[in-house]
Order: sequence, then C-alpha cells, then structure tokens
Amino acid sequence: MTATSRGWVRRRLLLGAGQIAAVPVLVFVLTEALPGDAAVVAAGDDPDPARIAALRASLRLDRPAVERFADWAGELAHGDLGRSLVGGRPVADHLAEALGPTLLLAALTLTLLVPAAVGLGLLAARREGGPLDRAVSTVTLAVYAVPEFALGVLLTGVFALWLGWLPPTAVGGIGRQPAVLVLPVVVLLARPVCSTARLVRAGLLDAMAAPYAVHALRCGVPPHRVRLGHALPNALAPVVQHLARTTEWLLCGVIVAEALFVVPGLGTVLLDAVAARDVPVVQGLAVLFGTVTVLLNLAADLAARRLAPRTEVAV
Amino acid sequence: MRTGGRRVSGPELAAVDGLRVRIGPRVLVDGVSLRVRAGRVTALVGPSGSGKTTTALALLGAYPEGARVSGTVSLAGAGGAPVGHVPQHPGTVLNPVRRAGVLLRDLARVHGGGPEAVRRALHDTELSEVEGLLRRYPHQLSGGQQQRLVLAQALLTGARVIVADEPTTGQDPAAARRLAALFRRLAARGTGLLLLSHDLDLVRESADEVVLLADGRAVRVGPPDEVLRVPARPVVPPARSAPAPAPVPAPTSGAAAPVRLDVTGLTARHPGGAVVLHEVGLSLRAGECLALTGRTGSGKTTLGRCLAGLHPRHEGTVLLDGEPLPRSVRQRGRRRLAAVQYVFQDARSAFADHRPVIDQVARAAVRLRGRTPSEAGAESAALLAALGLDPAKAARPPAGLSGGELQRASLARALIVGPAVLVCDEITAGLDADTRASILAHLADRRDRAGLALLFVSHDPAAVDALADRVATLADGRLHPASTAHPFGRQDTAPPG
Repeated sequence: MTATSRGWVRRRLLLGAGQIAAVPVLVFVLTEALPGDAAVVAAGDDPDPARIAALRASLRLDRPAVERFADWAGELAHGDLGRSLVGGRPVADHLAEALGPTLLLAALTLTLLVPAAVGLGLLAARREGGPLDRAVSTVTLAVYAVPEFALGVLLTGVFALWLGWLPPTAVGGIGRQPAVLVLPVVVLLARPVCSTARLVRAGLLDAMAAPYAVHALRCGVPPHRVRLGHALPNALAPVVQHLARTTEWLLCGVIVAEALFVVPGLGTVLLDAVAARDVPVVQGLAVLFGTVTVLLNLAADLAARRLAPRTEVAV
Repeated sequence: MRTGGRRVSGPELAAVDGLRVRIGPRVLVDGVSLRVRAGRVTALVGPSGSGKTTTALALLGAYPEGARVSGTVSLAGAGGAPVGHVPQHPGTVLNPVRRAGVLLRDLARVHGGGPEAVRRALHDTELSEVEGLLRRYPHQLSGGQQQRLVLAQALLTGARVIVADEPTTGQDPAAARRLAALFRRLAARGTGLLLLSHDLDLVRESADEVVLLADGRAVRVGPPDEVLRVPARPVVPPARSAPAPAPVPAPTSGAAAPVRLDVTGLTARHPGGAVVLHEVGLSLRAGECLALTGRTGSGKTTLGRCLAGLHPRHEGTVLLDGEPLPRSVRQRGRRRLAAVQYVFQDARSAFADHRPVIDQVARAAVRLRGRTPSEAGAESAALLAALGLDPAKAARPPAGLSGGELQRASLARALIVGPAVLVCDEITAGLDADTRASILAHLADRRDRAGLALLFVSHDPAAVDALADRVATLADGRLHPASTAHPFGRQDTAPPG
C-alpha cells in the first residue's frame, strides 16, 4: 500500500466514523417521533396513566430526550451499548445471540453466490445474443423481478407444504436440522445471483470488445484465456462493489426472509425492538449496521482499486 | 505497381493488390497495391484522410464498419504468424488492469518459448534495461515504452510483418532517431515493416521504399530520396516574413503588449507527492507565442494542464490579466474558462464518441459565450471551413474523421470561445505537412490579429521555428528560459519577457 493509498484509507475511515455516529442520532430522533414509548407498550392491556408514568420513571424515560441520548452516547464511548428496556438484558448480548444465524445465512449465501453468478455471467458472455445468452438473460431478468416475500411464499408452499421435502420454518433450531436453511438461502440467493450475473456478463462483453482484448486475440492468445485472464479482471471492479452491497444487505438484517422463515437473526431482533420501542436495542443495531456498511464499502473500494490500478492516479 | 524494379530484395511477405474500400458513396482507398518484403521497411505517406490507415488495417484483416472491399490482400509469405500492429496510441491495446508481463508470458506460452523468449523480445526492443517492467501496469510506462512493449509482443508472436502507425507521435527528435534505428535492426533480422508516418525524417532515415498516397490512390512509389525529393509545399508556412502591410496592432504606442499571463513559483506534484514542476515562472504577453520544449516526461504537459486548471495539485500564483486564476477548472466560471483554453494532443479522445463533431464544437460557444445553438452552429461551420475542414464532414461523429481532421476540429473548439490564452499540447504531432501548415498559419493569424497569447508545447522544431517568439526548455521540472532567441523575425516586438 502506497502512502497516498494509506492517506485515502484514513480519510475513508474518518468519514465512515462520522457516518456511523450520524446513524444512531437519526435513529434516536425517528424513534422519538414514533407514537408511544416502551412504557406504553409495556403497559399493554392496562393503559392506566399512573401505571404508565410509574413504568416510565422506572425505565428512566421521564428524563429529557437530549439527556437520555447523551447518557447513551457516553456509555457507547466506553464500549457499552446499554441495556434493553424490555427485560433489561445487555444489548450486546442480544446482538451477539442474533448475529450467529445471520452470519451463517450470509456466509452460506455468499459462498454459493460468487461462483454461481460469475459462472452464469461467463456462460452468457461466451456468445452475445446466442441461445445460451438469451436463455440466461431472460431467466435472470424474470427471477430478479420476483420480490423475496413472493418467492419465499411460493417455495414454502411447493417444497414444504405440498411436497413436504423441506421444513417450512426454522422453528426448533438451526443446529439440529440444517435442512431448515435450504429455503431461506435459496430465497436470499435468487435476486443477487441474477443481478451479479448480469453485471459480469455486461462487463465481460465490454472488455472483450475493448481494443486490448481484440489485440490479445489477434496475437493468438486462445479465446478462453483472453476471456478469463484478460477480460474478466476488467469486468470485476463493478462486481466487487455490487457484492459489497449484497453482503451489507445480507448482514444488516434481511428482515423479510428472517421473518418468513422465523430465523432468529438480526432482522427479527430489529423488528421486535421497534415493535417494543426498545430504543437501546434499535440504536445498538444501527451502530452495528453502520459499522458493517462502512467497513464493507471500504473493503470493496480497496479491492476495486487493486483491480483497476489506474484509478490510483485519478484520486 | 512496382516502379523501377530496383532495390527490390527479400522474399515477399505480404501483398496488397488493387485494394478498394468504400463506405456508401465515399471511396476511402481506390486501387492501392503494395508489397511488404523481408528485411525491408516500406513507408506509407500522404496527407490525413488519404487512406493510409485503411490500407494498413487491411493487412490486419480489419476494415471500417459497413465497408465494401474489393482487391486482394495476401499474407502468403508471412508464415502463418499474425501481422504485428503498433497503433499510434499504443496504450489503447494494453490492458489497463494487467501487468506488462501477463500478456508477454501468455504469448511466449502460445507461440512456443518460455521466459527466455520473453527476455529475448525485451532485449530486441531495448526494454530489458527498464527496471521491473514485467510487473508494471501500462499506465506506469511512458509512451515510448508502451510502444516498444507492443513491438515486443509482436516479436513474441513470431510476426514477420509489422505495421507501425505514426510511431514517432509525441516523441522528441532523439527518441525518434532511436526508433528509426530500432526499425532498421528489426528489418535486418528479416522482418518486413510497414510504417505509416507524416514524419519525413523518420521515413528518410528508415525506409527502403515509400508509397505516397493521395485521395486513396498511390500516386508515387519509389525510394525515399526520389519520392520525397520535391515537397509539394513548404513544410511550414513561411516564417513571419517581412513586416506585413498591416503590422501587429500595438495596443499601446511603442510599449510592449500587456502581460496576459503571469506565472510565479509554480510547483506541481503528482498524487504520490513526487514533484513534477519546481518553482516555474513565466509570463506571456498578448500576441506572443512561447514555445515549450523538453524531453518526454520533463513536465511540459503538466505545466500546460496547471494553467488550464486541469492539474489542481499545484502551488504558486497564476495571474490572468493581473487577476489570480483559480487552480481548478471547477472554480473558474464561464469567463475565465473561455479565457484560457487547452488543445489536447490526442484529439480523438478529446471528443465524445457519439455526437457529431460540429455539434461538439458549437456546444463550446453555447456554453461559454452564451450563443444560441443556431448562431453557434453557423459560427463553427465558418471556423471549421477557415481551418480547412469541410463542415459537412464535421457533421459525422469522430469515428468518421481522420486524426488530422479531428485535430483541426479540436483547435476550432478551443478558438470558438475566443480565448485570451491558448495552450497547445503537441498539436502538430502526427499531422501531415499540409494540415500542419494550415493550423500553424491560422494560429499565427490569431496571434497577430487578435492578440492571442500562445503556449505552444512541441517537439517539432520546424513548427516552433515558425510560430514561437521565445523558446523555453523544461528539464526535470525546471524551466530554462535560455533561448529567448527567436529563430526568425519578430525582433521588432515582444522583448524577452
């Protein structure tokens, strides 16, 4: 890494820290704007104003918003995410527990996504406009157009309820029955595979038409070597950026898929915390998501710089 | 089409017979025949648009889109190896994201030969002394190194025929001479070379046979001293000759013209922090031309780009008519953008691919001078015609124009906004004598009549002689204003500034 590149990484990290700090502020303001608070939700069926006021005092929600935020921020500076308003467990525990299933889903999805997408893209780009290209392009476009919840419901209906091949939800635990992961992974995989494969295809076709690829072909380098060794590296920079955003989406709580298959991941925690107005948990998640997003994008930018070294000059 | 039949030697490697290339009603090449022989250098010369590139590309089996082709191209003697091609801008055929060694090793593998073959090819193209060449990316190589890298690739494929398109573009005279010697050495090993060039010195020094094209026909064929004996026209316009009837309009009686551009303590850096220019100072008066020379890599282009606001990483002051000029084009606003214009060396990459060239010229007048599109259109047509480019031709997108035609259009786009200062970066490189003469004449006229201040970056001694009042040399980022001597005339105005 050159000196410029280190300076650039430092600037990016500073900017990222600012963004991470801004996200909880925004989240705090938005949750303040929600009607009701944790005391109202906890009071539940017995909305007696005196009881709500007592709950509010015991949860220390009766203090001004600014003071509460300052407390939280001060604790965060010491690495403490605070405690949940519902049950009083440390937020960090909540997140650690939910991180496992989310990471597992994300890792499985990515492991299958990269080879499948690059392979499909390469296959389609072998002959532009050929039958294979048209088939791949049509199918990927069609699948991409189906939203996750629709695909999830469809697959569950066919494979879990009708054919009975796979369990419909992850209730009962992932550890004991790994087959519960099949449907969620397929649903998570469907759209990213399509969009990434289309990017690989488009990048490859551009690169294969570029003068340097034509030159290499004319010099007698075999077409498959030109495609893999000379054109593909040019096509990968945008793909890496796209993968970073997909990973970010996978890690920052894929709410629909988790809710649909009852996976106890970060998305489920977020959904429950918002419903209970459990602001410390929501904020803890916001910090986690912000950090993941900033780091992933930084990693993607570094990888893209490595893949397209010329941009070093232009920064 | 062999005239004379003397000096014919070496087996025939490639033969073009009666080549005719048409696009619609337009005839690009009209019955050209030529031979490339082992051990010989054949040069294809002629003005821009005379069909040189189309003819040469035919040897590579490439034709313009939608072309109808008749005649024959035979590579029977080339032994099945592909024809090597070194394009005018060799960077375009080098993969920007792969290191130089990748393709070289691939080629060595495909064409039988290991690391030894790569070493030999680099040695033969005088690249072996470039440190860490195989691990460098194309953008880390100079233009000359890129060119020799493409030559080395051709040698690795076992090419017996090599086509080089305007190989001396943008090179200083010493580099051009080394290149001519390299071509002679390659020919001595039995390679047949076809050079496309406007550089008559290169042709005289390296070619055995010259084919002169005009309007798609081969009008003269023979040894260089015969074909090039009588230049059809003087290479450059007559240097500012005897006092013209209407002399340079002196703005203030007797005194020198006002200082347009005043640069002091200009230090520019590359993104990595390397200093490209050290404390450069210069001043340029209205109606004055300062030529900037120096070796490749001495910082000439960077200096021009600093003035034009294209290289904001610099310190020091640049005053335009006494007012500080913002470092970056983004902060300059219309008036100052129009006041300092820049003409790029590579005219083709300075135009957008899919818009008619004339529209792109007119757009500058709309943007920077607030003309209506129809006024701007009429103005650009008139200006293009004055620069010798048919406005009807300029209605095509850039791909339909030759390099020389695009260079005229590029100049027109800069001049149409009425600049006070014009920076020209190697704008005569790779142009034929006629185009060059007409461009230089037009610039001289602008300078004398409109008081245009010119910073003329060039390797071309004849062009510098014809146009410059003063010559400054950049070496290692320092400006040596040594030769205030103006080659011809003009002693009456513009004292050394």
